[in-house]
Amino acid sequence: MSFPDLYTEGIASGWKVIDAARLTGARTLEADVAIIGSGAGGGVAAEILSQAGLKVLLIEEGPLKTSADFKDMQEARAYRELYQGGGPGKATSDGAITILQGRSVGGSTTVNWTSSFRTPEPTLQHWAAEREVTGHSVEQMKPWFDQMEQRLNVAPWGTAPNANNSVLQRGCDKLGWESHVIPRNVKGCWNSGYCGFGCPVNAKQSMLVSTIPAALKNGATLVHRLRVRELQHANDQITAAIGDALNAKDGSTPTGVSVTIRARHFVAAGGALNTPALLLRSKLPDPNQRLGKRTLIHPVVLATAVMPERIEAFYGAPQSIASDHFQWKNGATGAMGYKLEVPPIFPGIGSAVFNLYGRELQQGMADFPHANAVLALLRDGFVPQSEGGSVRLGDDGNPVLDYDISDYVWDGVKRAWLSMAELQFAAGAKAVRVAHLDAAAYTSWADAKKAIPALALKKFRTTLFTAHLMGGCAMSQNAQRGVVDSQGAHHQIANLSVLDGSVFPTSIGANPQLSIYALTAQNATALAQRLRG
Amino acid sequence: MDRKLDSMVDAAGLPRRDFLKVGLGLSLAVTLAGALPGCSGGTKAPAPDLAFLQPGDVALFSAIIPVVVLDLGTRSTAEQQQLLRQTLANIDGTCAGLDAHSRGELRKLFDLLAIGTLRYVLTGVGRWNEASSEQLEAFLERWRASRFATLNAGGNVLVRLVAGSYYVIPATFASVGYPGPLEAMFKAVNA
Repeated sequence: MSFPDLYTEGIASGWKVIDAARLTGARTLEADVAIIGSGAGGGVAAEILSQAGLKVLLIEEGPLKTSADFKDMQEARAYRELYQGGGPGKATSDGAITILQGRSVGGSTTVNWTSSFRTPEPTLQHWAAEREVTGHSVEQMKPWFDQMEQRLNVAPWGTAPNANNSVLQRGCDKLGWESHVIPRNVKGCWNSGYCGFGCPVNAKQSMLVSTIPAALKNGATLVHRLRVRELQHANDQITAAIGDALNAKDGSTPTGVSVTIRARHFVAAGGALNTPALLLRSKLPDPNQRLGKRTLIHPVVLATAVMPERIEAFYGAPQSIASDHFQWKNGATGAMGYKLEVPPIFPGIGSAVFNLYGRELQQGMADFPHANAVLALLRDGFVPQSEGGSVRLGDDGNPVLDYDISDYVWDGVKRAWLSMAELQFAAGAKAVRVAHLDAAAYTSWADAKKAIPALALKKFRTTLFTAHLMGGCAMSQNAQRGVVDSQGAHHQIANLSVLDGSVFPTSIGANPQLSIYALTAQNATALAQRLRG
Repeated sequence: MDRKLDSMVDAAGLPRRDFLKVGLGLSLAVTLAGALPGCSGGTKAPAPDLAFLQPGDVALFSAIIPVVVLDLGTRSTAEQQQLLRQTLANIDGTCAGLDAHSRGELRKLFDLLAIGTLRYVLTGVGRWNEASSEQLEAFLERWRASRFATLNAGGNVLVRLVAGSYYVIPATFASVGYPGPLEAMFKAVNA
């Protein structure tokens, strides 16, 4: 069996792909639409706009890495080449929350774990009722979810869950808690577990293998290793985008070559950190100071268990079972809701999550094949006590995320720890440790139930992650409450749209990729009609 | 432990008020380091073959790697040297790949730990290469147990950087029962 590399073949057949690192002199590129960012938003927008006959330029700051680069199936290479800031090294401004976010052609879709949920109905209802969003009701979104699910082969995982996911399923069953099979965007999946390092068999229907190749076939141009520094503007119009080519060696140092991009319309699709940062760097009008505000991250807390059986949480579809038992229990705006899932565990990130050293780490790693981990995605941004964080510019112009944890969120953290420990013991765990510096390895639910409420609810003592960056350019029909309107059109700049997860006015309450795909499909289709009209 | 650290901070006449402004992460440590003469911060050259770690940082990590990952001590001398080198290279690569803000924060932490007097006060360690494993463990324990968020942050980042950088090395996989990339798939894609 051989696995042809889409891009090697595509480029040979005439796809227009420019590696900015190799440019030797300043360039000007022209298009009908320039899309900045090639992740979930940029990828879908590129396909739809190019399909409509528009000349599309798709710009990515990260490198083009394809299945041919993923064949080693190694963590270290993946973090270095495919993630922002080298993977688990990136964090919020104070270092308290680790950020996992993709940074290559395809963005986070190249490295995510394939979970593909529709935006939960209560979330869409909340947007309409509380955030002055129109056009995205449950009924209005349905055809777009249908379309993107079909486009990306999204279907509930039909194979038995791996042992790590089985722990979650079994625990829920024992306790009478809701659980469900996760829909995944895969085609010909090997059930290997290596989604996070780039799929080496092109089974994952990421933007890298689906919409971007389609856009290239439609004549779009892809430019990678080009960081857009600034959107120049005059009279409420973007006049040009100015980009810096990045060198191939470290992927982040400018080569000194600058690229000028001229287009009728610009689409910002860099995601919830980079899109607000680009607009901030460009000093775009922000009369109501909404730019970079309400950044939502689904704060993640974890519990690890030692199971009697071998779990091998590194093998098998990484996420196939989830539980919403605690998600809407208190309504959209009651005590904080959370979704329970499991993460895959590989030795590098696993040892870092354990956050142990010496004898305790040695013991933890000795039990590694028996390790199960459960995570809770906390649903932030639905109440005034959970306004999320904010993006500002660091000295080098890159985004810096400030995110404080309110008492409301801490209460969610504590309840999530208790839920996860109860679930793991119900599934047969020998020992459970919540990811907190003071947590011991509890050997019974009774012990855990007693000890967990006493843990200090503090940053740095608590292990916190995020892999879902949302908000910062919120959509709202009310310009005082949002940066863009419900179609992603910038409130002050006529030829600028934002089509990515930064437009979400709250967190999603589920892994956000399908929410970005469907919302972008809807808004990009409207944009195509407007531009052709 | 914490009380002992407090009294040491007091005894050293350091600006304790700054220590109490918790919640700012490592920026605090920086304030402290910036106040001291000789803490030039980021102007020194990286160690040979490395992009971010300076010679003083290499000394720090060379000392704590064997204390964080005991697995290293179970190996032959030749293997130990090889793994130590690879772990340092991985730590260096992670640090170098961060954005400027994060690199700045780490530089402050590492500089703080490179200043003799301050290091002794904060960690109980004189020279990294002369410290016993008990002293190094006590340092990590004290920082992680402290009620000062800055020290927790520092203790966490050191432990995580070391553990994560060690266990991504394929030569360590067998020790944790990870057979490596799923064999059938690995063979198929590399055929």
